[in-house]
Amino acid sequence: MITINEITIVVDGREIISDYSEQIPAGSITAIVGPNGCGKSTLLAAIAGDIAPTKGTITIDELHPILTFPAHLAQIRAVAIQNQSYTLGYTVKQIIEMAGPADEVMQALELTALADRAVTTLSGGEAQRVSIATAIAQKTPVLLLDEPLAAQDVRSRKRIIEVLRALAEAGVTVVVVAHSNESELTWADKVIKQFL
Amino acid sequence: MKKIAPAIALAIATFVAICVGSAQIDNFWTALFSPGSNEILWQIRIPRVTAALIVGASLALAGLMAQGACNNALAEPSILGTTAGAALGTVIAVLTGLVQVGSVGAIACGALGALAATSLTFKLANLRSQISSFALIIVGIAVSASLTAIVGLLSAMVTRSDARSISFWNFGSLALTTRDNLVGISITALVGGLIAWKISPSLDRLSLGDATAFHIGIDVPRVRLIALVALSLLAGGAVSTVGSIAFIGLAAPHIARFIYGPIHRNLIVHTAIIGALLVVVADTLSRSVAQPNELPIGLITSLLGAPVLIALVTVKNNIWKTQ
Repeated sequence: MITINEITIVVDGREIISDYSEQIPAGSITAIVGPNGCGKSTLLAAIAGDIAPTKGTITIDELHPILTFPAHLAQIRAVAIQNQSYTLGYTVKQIIEMAGPADEVMQALELTALADRAVTTLSGGEAQRVSIATAIAQKTPVLLLDEPLAAQDVRSRKRIIEVLRALAEAGVTVVVVAHSNESELTWADKVIKQFL
Repeated sequence: MKKIAPAIALAIATFVAICVGSAQIDNFWTALFSPGSNEILWQIRIPRVTAALIVGASLALAGLMAQGACNNALAEPSILGTTAGAALGTVIAVLTGLVQVGSVGAIACGALGALAATSLTFKLANLRSQISSFALIIVGIAVSASLTAIVGLLSAMVTRSDARSISFWNFGSLALTTRDNLVGISITALVGGLIAWKISPSLDRLSLGDATAFHIGIDVPRVRLIALVALSLLAGGAVSTVGSIAFIGLAAPHIARFIYGPIHRNLIVHTAIIGALLVVVADTLSRSVAQPNELPIGLITSLLGAPVLIALVTVKNNIWKTQ
């Protein structure tokens, strides 16, 4: 269970989120939707422990992400950021193995054929799938994904959703940031629209 | 064959470097296998070639640490201000009369100067917002230029021969290296190399960007600080003893990546071998091509290293995305 308790987040003097509370149930998929700039990614970053709320608290079970050591936090939550870029020419498999075992997740996300490709040569959609695979490979109880379907074709979107559903059924808490025009959100157990 | 070529080339270059010199060595093979029998060979040439090997490996590993810590293809000790900081730290220490160039004390002051200058570059690049590659390089060039100017001023204003010349600090020289100097640079090379080995898996993860590295469990500021300490030890030891030798820190890691790929743990040994090879070849050329004069080694390494920099930007490759 992720508990967001009356948080306010101010970035560069601008209040992005104000006195917001929410509970995200364990073992489910929660989609955070809203237009550009409404604070979806900021909320996800706060849950991930990337930024500290100016006021209020966020806990994953009883753990405060912002107060937890990176190595410990990486066992609790995994994150796939939007627009992951790769500067060095590691292979797809080498990148995923930096987070955990690669074979199973590569197969699940149809990346096996790309295993030996340099990540610097991937398309945007392929790079995004590698980023999602890297997060899943961490095998954490909480999975946070920032717009995982944005650059995907229909087939890849379907496959990613199937993988996320399977993870949720296995007990993983999945939180996904999506655009407000994300019409097919039937795969999510809960949709947070407070930012709309 | 391609993968062992640098090691074979290093063995050949080292042998040639020991053979070649302004003085002929009578009964070379007998002298080579009788330690101490020939003064020129054992007191001058072998210590100098050994220093070239250690300095080359140190500067190359310093470059690998700089590029890994900054996740930046252009980062290297001279661009981050590390080299100029090491030179300034050593010059100030020597001018106080407490240490001599090449001593362990001078190396310690060089490493401290290197660490202070690199920290200053990072601090200034970080002032307005998160560190960007652009800010880091621009600030690094400015810090380097300022410190190099101060080293030049101090060298020019003080007429002490043991403070070395501005040419020495700008272009480097192995001419004055002695057997005693080898102890200090061996220690910094070994300690710096061990730290580099230890943090190399974290540097792989740092290449994913600070955010993703943090998400997979890396304490980014801590890893970066450790890498900068290794960088300062390696560059400080080398620069405080033989002056600034350009482009080794930039070229060697890139050449190693082209041959062996980007995994940092694999690169530690190979980058050190390629750096040692470049410096041994450059030193041999610097004392051979204009006999009886000796050219500053930095001129030769610049001639060898500049094409690598140009190739990095112009040749399409999958090793490092520069766009």
